[in-house]
Amino acid sequence: MSALRIFLTLGFFFVLFTIQESAVSLIHFPISGFSLYLAVAISLIAYEDHNGALITGFLAGIVLDLSPTSNAPFGQWALILTGIGYLFAVNRDSIADLTASPVTFVLFVATGVSIALVIYLTFGSLLGEQNGTLVHDGVVILGNLIWTIVFTPIFLPPLGRVREYSLTARER
Amino acid sequence: MARGGGNRSRLLLVILLVTALFFITLDLRGVSLTKGSRSVTQTILSPVQRTVSTIFSPVGRFFSDVKNFGKTNAQLQEEIALNKLLKSQIAMNSDTKGQLAQLKAVLDLAGRGNYKVAAARVIARGSASSFSQTITIDAGSSSGIRPDMTVISQNGLVGVVKSTTSSSAIVLLTSDPSFRVGVRIARNQSVGVLSGLGSTSYSLVLLDPSGTIKTGDILVTNGSEGNRPFVPGVPVGVVVGVDNSTASLTQTATVVSYANLNDLGVVSVILSAPTTAPSKPLLPSPNPTVTVYVTPSPTPQISTGAGPTPTPSAQPTKKK
Repeated sequence: MSALRIFLTLGFFFVLFTIQESAVSLIHFPISGFSLYLAVAISLIAYEDHNGALITGFLAGIVLDLSPTSNAPFGQWALILTGIGYLFAVNRDSIADLTASPVTFVLFVATGVSIALVIYLTFGSLLGEQNGTLVHDGVVILGNLIWTIVFTPIFLPPLGRVREYSLTARER
Repeated sequence: MARGGGNRSRLLLVILLVTALFFITLDLRGVSLTKGSRSVTQTILSPVQRTVSTIFSPVGRFFSDVKNFGKTNAQLQEEIALNKLLKSQIAMNSDTKGQLAQLKAVLDLAGRGNYKVAAARVIARGSASSFSQTITIDAGSSSGIRPDMTVISQNGLVGVVKSTTSSSAIVLLTSDPSFRVGVRIARNQSVGVLSGLGSTSYSLVLLDPSGTIKTGDILVTNGSEGNRPFVPGVPVGVVVGVDNSTASLTQTATVVSYANLNDLGVVSVILSAPTTAPSKPLLPSPNPTVTVYVTPSPTPQISTGAGPTPTPSAQPTKKK
């Protein structure tokens, strides 16, 4: 992953973070909410190669850690999304080319979002954070899973095109 | 990486994980760098949120509007608002009665609720990627808002100010799982602790083992030292279920909030509260009662209509 791409990815995550915090979070979704940020971040992680997935996960996590509404310590999301990047890097080889099957890709992303939230909750519990009842947390994760499945096919084609533009000739 | 992936990948993974753990350690040790970065983000975000909120607010209610399509109309909304107002007034009145019984009419009702408030618009809600329940308001330290100030809506307690920038503030909602507030039951003045559960209901635990809770009991804030973070007497909610488990030492109950946290448009932050009577409930200042004693004149006079004619039953009266 080139330095330019790291810079571009970071900028992209900042823009996405602003959209999430300013617009998406204002929508009252039935069954909890939808994190566009997590869905896009995990989609990008899924597109990347081994090192790219790790770096993209870390960058996405660092930007998400900047959220002023978060109770979690700074670095928690970076740790989790780096871990998710690692999981994707390890497992994508056994699933073959994810991008060849959009349905598999969407399900993979939705599962990734859910796993990220579960790890966030587990890690938060270990650090003594109050994250609500099990039922409530389950509903939040379920809501994110459903909305990610619904919205990912919509943003995936433009996201793929944007990513194509950002790739250098060598990376293509 | 599935079969090792090369040393470079492993090294990268270790470096990134160690960096993340380093940040977490710094944050947990209270290093201001990480907290400062969130404050800077909030400063950058709040103007964008304010603009987007203005444009985006009709879209934000899309799903709830679709859900309630056909049911909502102007009259229904008016009735709901009136109902909420009346419920809030009942809470205030019940608490006043409970206090008056205990204090034997020592308290003077005049001037109650003389809180200095700052009104603010809700410009953002907590992110769905974290489990914290917060709102962002468009008033901050330049309006006199500081952390640990009580935030209310027209129906009661909404939350407490968590952090501020010059033009915005983040409010931790009462529904947040980490939220705790000392409350008392308006009926018998028993004190307890109300906890957010992350949903629309709350958990109440009485501190007094001999205290009793009944369904329908109204809860108001108990107040904090120096009125921060909580001013006393603000309506919080109503008990909807009591847990009569014999295994627990104190009574617990399920509470529903007066304030609808999903429908917050404008809130008020209490900047200062009267310190003379720290346990008095939130009440609007009543109009002073004026009594006039009219002495009948020996000779009836015909009014020319130039001046006001005192009518004791209809006009304000002045006490001499």
